[in-house]
Amino acid sequence: MLQFEILEHPADIGFRAFGASEAELFENAALALLSIGWELEGIEPLEQYPLSASASDLELLLVNWLNEVLYLTDGKRIAVRQCRVNAINSTHVSGLALGEPRDPDRHRARIVVKAVTYHQLKAARTPAGWLADVYLDI
Amino acid sequence: MPVEIEALDEFRHRIPRDPQYGMRTDVLVFASRPLIEQIRKDLSLQQAMNVATLPGIVGSSLAMPDIHQGYGFPIGGVAAMDWETGVVSPGGVGFDINCGVRLARTSLSESEVRPRLKPLIDQIFRDVPCGTGGTGFVKITPKELDQVLVEGARWMVGNGYGSERDAELAEAGGALPGADPRQVSERAKERGRPQIGTLGSGNHFLEVQFVEEIHDDRAARAMGLIAGQVVVLIHSGSRGLGHQVCTDYLAQMNSAMKRYNISLPDRQLACAPIHSPEGQAYLGAMAAAANFAWASRQGILHFLRGALRRVFGDQTRVELIYDVCHNIAKRETHEVEGRRRDVLVHRKGATRAFPAGHREVPEVYREVGQPVFVPGSMGTASWVLAGAQGAMSESFGSVCHGAGRLLSRTAAKKGRDARQVQKKLEEAGILVRSETRDGILEEVPEAYKNVDEVIEVVHRAGLARKVARLRPMGVIKG
Repeated sequence: MLQFEILEHPADIGFRAFGASEAELFENAALALLSIGWELEGIEPLEQYPLSASASDLELLLVNWLNEVLYLTDGKRIAVRQCRVNAINSTHVSGLALGEPRDPDRHRARIVVKAVTYHQLKAARTPAGWLADVYLDI
Repeated sequence: MPVEIEALDEFRHRIPRDPQYGMRTDVLVFASRPLIEQIRKDLSLQQAMNVATLPGIVGSSLAMPDIHQGYGFPIGGVAAMDWETGVVSPGGVGFDINCGVRLARTSLSESEVRPRLKPLIDQIFRDVPCGTGGTGFVKITPKELDQVLVEGARWMVGNGYGSERDAELAEAGGALPGADPRQVSERAKERGRPQIGTLGSGNHFLEVQFVEEIHDDRAARAMGLIAGQVVVLIHSGSRGLGHQVCTDYLAQMNSAMKRYNISLPDRQLACAPIHSPEGQAYLGAMAAAANFAWASRQGILHFLRGALRRVFGDQTRVELIYDVCHNIAKRETHEVEGRRRDVLVHRKGATRAFPAGHREVPEVYREVGQPVFVPGSMGTASWVLAGAQGAMSESFGSVCHGAGRLLSRTAAKKGRDARQVQKKLEEAGILVRSETRDGILEEVPEAYKNVDEVIEVVHRAGLARKVARLRPMGVIKG
C-alpha cells in the first residue's frame, strides 16, 4: 500500500497519507512530514523517543501528533527516521519516534518545515482504508 | 465557488459584501486586469472573502497585487480590526511572525564586486548560517533570550552585534512594545534559541544586488542610494520561535472560539477578541516573537558585515537603510470614512508603507516617506519604494511584499535540474549558493509573478512610489 503522496499548494506543500488502520495512518503521516523536511537515508533508528498527543477529534489529534514530531526534530534536535503508534483512539495517541541526536555533518535538511496547518485538513475512513490530507507551512 | 468581481478602475477591483456568505464588508483588490486573471487561479480571493467575515473588521478586507493562496488569510492580505470590539487572529499574522526584509547599502560598486563575486558569496555562505541543519553563531542563555524577546534588535546592538543606528532604522525601532516573554511557551523558546541569527529556508534568502535604476532622485538620496552601488537584502523571520508561538495560539483559540460565540468558515482563521485573555496573551507573545525576528536579522547583518570586510577590507562600509516586517498585527490609528479609528492592522504578506510626514517614519526619511523593500524572485529584480499618502487613505498604510507565487513548489521542481538552473542563473550574472538542493528549484524565477507588474500597480494606484530597481548578483539560500 502507498504510504503517502505529495499534494500541491501554491505557496507551500501538503501530503495525503494512507493506512489500513488509524495507527498506520498516523505513522505514514509522520513519515510524510519527516520525508518533506529531511533526507532520511542517513538517519539510524538507534534510539526511541516517546510521543503522545490528545485532542477533541481525530483531525485535530493528527495535527497535534505531527506537531509533537516537528517539535522533536526542531526543538529537541533529534533526527527522526520513522514513528510508531502503540495505542490510538479518536482523542488520544501514543507511540515512539525512532532516530538519533542530530549530527549536522551527517543529517541533511531538505527544507525547514515551519508548522502543520489546519488548511483543508482531513482524516477519515474510506472504503479503501484510512486517509488524511495535511498541509505544511514551509 | 465562482467569485463575482467588479472593476472599479484600472488598478482596483471589488468583491461586494455578500451577507449570505457571512461577509461583514467588501473585499478590495489592488490589481491590474492581467494580474486579476492570475489571482483567480487559486483560492486567494475566497480567502480574502473569509477574512471579511471576521468580527470587528473595519473598512474593506484588502488584497495586494502579489496576493496568493495561503492558509486562512491569503498571503498579501490586510485587515484592520476595531481595537475595542474586534478580534486578533494568529493566522492573520502567519506562522512566521515578523518575517521581514532589511536592506543595507555598501561603499562598494558593482564593478568592484563583480570580479570577486565568487569569493564574496562563498565567504557570506560560510559566515551567515542558514541554520537548516545546524545552529547559528549567536549563543545566548535562556535568560538572555527573555531579554531579546523584550528588547529585540536593541539587545543585539547592546551586546556587540551592530551599532545604535541599526536599531533606530528598523520599523518600531526594532522592538515592539508590550512583548511578554511569559506568554511564549518553553517549546517556542527551545526551538528558537539556537536559531537566532540564522536565515532559515523556504523563500528566505540573502541577496547581493546592485542599484540598476533610480526612479526618484530625492528619495534615493535620502536613502543613500546611487546607481551602480552594491546593496544587500536580507529576508528572514522569527524562525522556530515564531512558528511555535503561532502553532500554540492557533490551538488555544480554536478551542476558545466557542466560548466567544465565533464560528468561521476555516479553522486556520481561528481568532479571539482582542481584549480576551487569549487575545492579550497572543499579542504579548507575538510582540516577543517579532522582537526575536528583529534581533535575528540584526545578527545576520552583523555577520554579513564581517564577510564583506574580510573580502574587501576593513574600510568597507555596510549601513542599514531600513528594516520592514510583512507578517505582523499592529495597533495603529487610521482615518476611516472621515473618523479616526483605533485599529489592529493585520498584515499577512503585506508591508507597512507610511507616507512622508508620518511621525513613525524615522527622521531621515520623514520628508520622502518610509522605505519599503519588495523582493522579486531569484533571477529578476527587487524594488525600493517609498510609502505614499494613498496608502493612508486606502490600505491602512500598507502595500505589497513580494512578487507573489505563480507555481506550486512541486510544479516548480518538475522537469528542472538544480545544476542547470544554477548554470542558467550564472550565465545571467547571478551566483547562487544553497544549503539544500530543493532550495534552488522551488524558488526558480518562473515560479513567481512578474515583480515589475506588481510594483506598477502600487505605484500607479498611489500606495507607494518607485525609488529604485535592484538587480541580483549573488544569492545565499537555506
